[in-house]
Amino acid sequence: MLFRKLIRTAWSYKAQFISMILMITLGMGMFLGFNMEWRTIEYDTGKFFESTNYADFRLYSKDGFTSSELEAIKDIKGVEKATRFLSVNLDLKGEKNKAVALDVSENYTVSTFVATSGSDYDEKKQGFWLSDKFAAANKFKIGDTLTLTFKGEEISGEILGLVKSGEHMICLADTNQLMPDYNSFGFAYTTPAKLESIVKETTEKEIKTELKEKGMPDEMIEKSIGSILTKEAVEKAKDSLFVQINLCSDLSKEDLEEAVKGKLGKTIMVTSKDEHVVYKEAMGEAEEGKTMGSILPVLFLAIAILTMVTTMHRIATKEKLQIGTLKALGFKNRRILIHYTSYGLLIGILGTALGSVLGLFVCKLIMSEDGMMGTYFDMPDWTAAVPAFCYPVMIGTIIFLTLISFLSVKRQLMGTAAETLRPYVPKKMRKSIIEKIKGFNKLGFGTKWNVRDLSRHKSRSAMTLIGIIGCMILMVGGLGMRDTMAGFLDLLDNDISAYTTKVNLNEGADLSESLKLAKEIGGDYESLSGISFGGDTVTLDIVKNDNNLYNIIDKDNNRINLSDEGVYLCLRLQDKASIGDTIEFSPYGSTKTYKAKVIGYNRSIMTESITMTETLAKKLGIKYSITSIYTKTATDKIPTSSIISGKQNKAQLMETFTSFVEIMDTMVFVLVIAAIILGIVVLYNLGIMSYVERYRELATLKVLGFKNRDIGKLLISQNIWLTVIGVLVGLPAGVGVLKWLIVALASEYELKLMLGPLTYFVSILLTFGVSLLVGLMVARKNKKIDMVEALKIAE
Amino acid sequence: MPIVEFKGVSKIYSSGEHELRALDSVDMTLDEGKMVVILGPSGAGKSTLLNLLGGLDNPSEGKITVCGKDISKLNDNELAEYRAETVGFVFQFYNLIPTLTVYENVKLVSEISKDALDAKEIIDKVGLIDHLKNFPSELSGGEQQRISIARAIAKNPKILLCDEPTGALDSETGVMVLKLLLQMAKDYGKTIVIVTHNQNIAKIADVVIRVKNGKIRSVEEQENPLSADEVEW
Repeated sequence: MLFRKLIRTAWSYKAQFISMILMITLGMGMFLGFNMEWRTIEYDTGKFFESTNYADFRLYSKDGFTSSELEAIKDIKGVEKATRFLSVNLDLKGEKNKAVALDVSENYTVSTFVATSGSDYDEKKQGFWLSDKFAAANKFKIGDTLTLTFKGEEISGEILGLVKSGEHMICLADTNQLMPDYNSFGFAYTTPAKLESIVKETTEKEIKTELKEKGMPDEMIEKSIGSILTKEAVEKAKDSLFVQINLCSDLSKEDLEEAVKGKLGKTIMVTSKDEHVVYKEAMGEAEEGKTMGSILPVLFLAIAILTMVTTMHRIATKEKLQIGTLKALGFKNRRILIHYTSYGLLIGILGTALGSVLGLFVCKLIMSEDGMMGTYFDMPDWTAAVPAFCYPVMIGTIIFLTLISFLSVKRQLMGTAAETLRPYVPKKMRKSIIEKIKGFNKLGFGTKWNVRDLSRHKSRSAMTLIGIIGCMILMVGGLGMRDTMAGFLDLLDNDISAYTTKVNLNEGADLSESLKLAKEIGGDYESLSGISFGGDTVTLDIVKNDNNLYNIIDKDNNRINLSDEGVYLCLRLQDKASIGDTIEFSPYGSTKTYKAKVIGYNRSIMTESITMTETLAKKLGIKYSITSIYTKTATDKIPTSSIISGKQNKAQLMETFTSFVEIMDTMVFVLVIAAIILGIVVLYNLGIMSYVERYRELATLKVLGFKNRDIGKLLISQNIWLTVIGVLVGLPAGVGVLKWLIVALASEYELKLMLGPLTYFVSILLTFGVSLLVGLMVARKNKKIDMVEALKIAE
Repeated sequence: MPIVEFKGVSKIYSSGEHELRALDSVDMTLDEGKMVVILGPSGAGKSTLLNLLGGLDNPSEGKITVCGKDISKLNDNELAEYRAETVGFVFQFYNLIPTLTVYENVKLVSEISKDALDAKEIIDKVGLIDHLKNFPSELSGGEQQRISIARAIAKNPKILLCDEPTGALDSETGVMVLKLLLQMAKDYGKTIVIVTHNQNIAKIADVVIRVKNGKIRSVEEQENPLSADEVEW
């Protein structure tokens, strides 16, 4: 029988019950969704990395590694497996602005791939295994011939399979690119056998050209080529291509560096997977998710639970007479407690269950092949994973909600049945501090009524305020993040990059040839190389930017006219040295140490870097080779050169950023919609509570002759006041949360907080809109006030 | 000259197939300036009658004319205007706004009544001028009812409608309240309609209307009503 009562009572408070379930659903859904997102990244990428033997460390040598050097590395205790590795960006023949990273994992133990269709890896075969996403975007299928150009030579082969690889899970052509663009860049694997035939062919051609230039007749060349092109010569040429050794090991970076130095007798540049763009970006995304998950969704859940506390307490108060009746009938306290406690339990279970479904939906919206991250991550499995701490949070929430019901009812059960049967007496009205303010008495009766009502029902008012502030924080946080990203891209597009084409040069390209090319196409240029600074691997950026085509900016986003007097540290490194300090760094593969004075800080887009002018680099005697030239010359007007590894036009590059902003937009959209729904549910719930508690007063006003419209205005004006206060507090709080988020995300991007006036306007407008909408929804109920019934009840 | 006229007024509540006639074809007239008591047991229909007269509800059938105006077909807003201008209510449980002070509760009606009287003067008349800044919860039941009367008078209505005005008070306080009601009606020239089940209160009325089962059983004019001091219960 009590169960029937449970159902019917829940129905009689349906507005409150439904809103409580909705709040918990929304709070739990957002909390689970955002936390599942980062855990799913960790879990799915981790699984993928493992299945494709993603390298823990990468060793780099400009001159390449020999087979015996590889054997020496394999001998290091703690090195599980290792391979010589080649990854070189090649142009797709006949296609403007399309390139493929061609990889060779020599013994195919590390940095492998998984085939999604076609044949698996076979070292005896001579064809290509092509990225399935690149194939889909460019309409390649198994059996087609793929033709790439390498140093002006064509390399062709059959597509044997379509694959995915951990090495290219985030398939970026360039460190400046944020989002993969499978239409213009992909990757392919081939076998050492194929590589050898390519090397043999190109070496033969090179030797022939050289001999021809020396004046040797063609006949002689043909005769002697066999003796010149020995197996050793091919091997040597191949060695020079394997500039990388990829290995799996549990050793620390320092220990491995020491061991490598011991084995090879020289310092080799060692980078851990944390420094590799794919792992770094993936973990960065997970970290970003963790940061987002640790604040905004927690806010959702907290608001939902807090509102639930207030609502449950009020319902228990309203049920006082019923509780008293049950007690008077002879029901034991324990039974009554169980009965009423089950309301909280029911809401908790239903809210958490629905929240889990919503959470999965939110997670899938972000992390699925068709979701927002579908373009960013190229991996085969998208299994949603839940962080372990979410389970205790879910159980804890249910227990907490049950406890709220328990405590609310326990309070009503204190004392005798007769005491419980006495109707609830509202708190006596006392003058609050506000009334001591001069001029209070001159306020209209509606204002006074509302002020006193707010101070009389403090918890309800506080919860409403928290709801509005939360709504405001979520909106400013979400929209502000979008503004900041958009501002950052605008900065990148207009202030940093004034070039039309970025020309990437081969690693170690000859300096004089590079300078000749730079002069010919008239551009700025930079040299990027890895250096060791204070135990970390950072990028040394040597810049020559007299044409202002590629600019370095300061923390206020203003262009820096680089001085030759010292170096600039990026903002992420500003804790490492102050302006005026002298820092020491050494390039990888060299034992030499350089010293330079820090003369400023700059905002670096992606990498942790130290920037200096070419003049300073020359003065310090640093050897460098140009990695990129930035020019106004159109991409198709760039002359062909063997030192060019790729060309990207800015528009194409910016397009990849646009996709990134689209992801951000969707997340912001989800957040803002959720904030609006939460705002509506919280405010409606509290609005109804306020309406019910003031029902008698509203009925009195109606009897006195106040029109529905006048009473509605009273109710809405209270909401509007709370909204004004909520907005005044929520706006700076939102900016604060955003600042915190930007600091927390600083390891990924160096962002400057940018908030457009439209964000303030939209946030305020939406918050007021929500408040007004809820006010109107509640005010509409005035028409249904039963004056006769309300006024018969004794207070 | 009748200030109120009921012609064939019925109030029917239906729930499914069942029909409850709370008032059944009532014909009644009330004269201006009179003190009328509507008497009847619980469920007789006396409160329904008062609610219809007060514009809290519309009749299901019939016509109600107050001060020459038909109020039986008024919409929500027109009824609110009617309540604001023509009638003043005094309830059993006072129904003061707990978040407004004594003065503000009385002054409140000036927001809706074009012809409102001076709030302080009325509060002085009901003897609570020293409690202007007190909240209702700081007053006794009798004091609260006096403020309720002051609020009803302050609107300067034509008719004062009182639903069991002494129902929640002890006899001594009840007498005091009745005395005040009569005095105020006399001073401000109001018609008073009191609904009660208390036979003793009927002794102070100029006209006693007895109601039972939704019908008017008798209308009795008393030539020499008792003063409030003489009433005992």
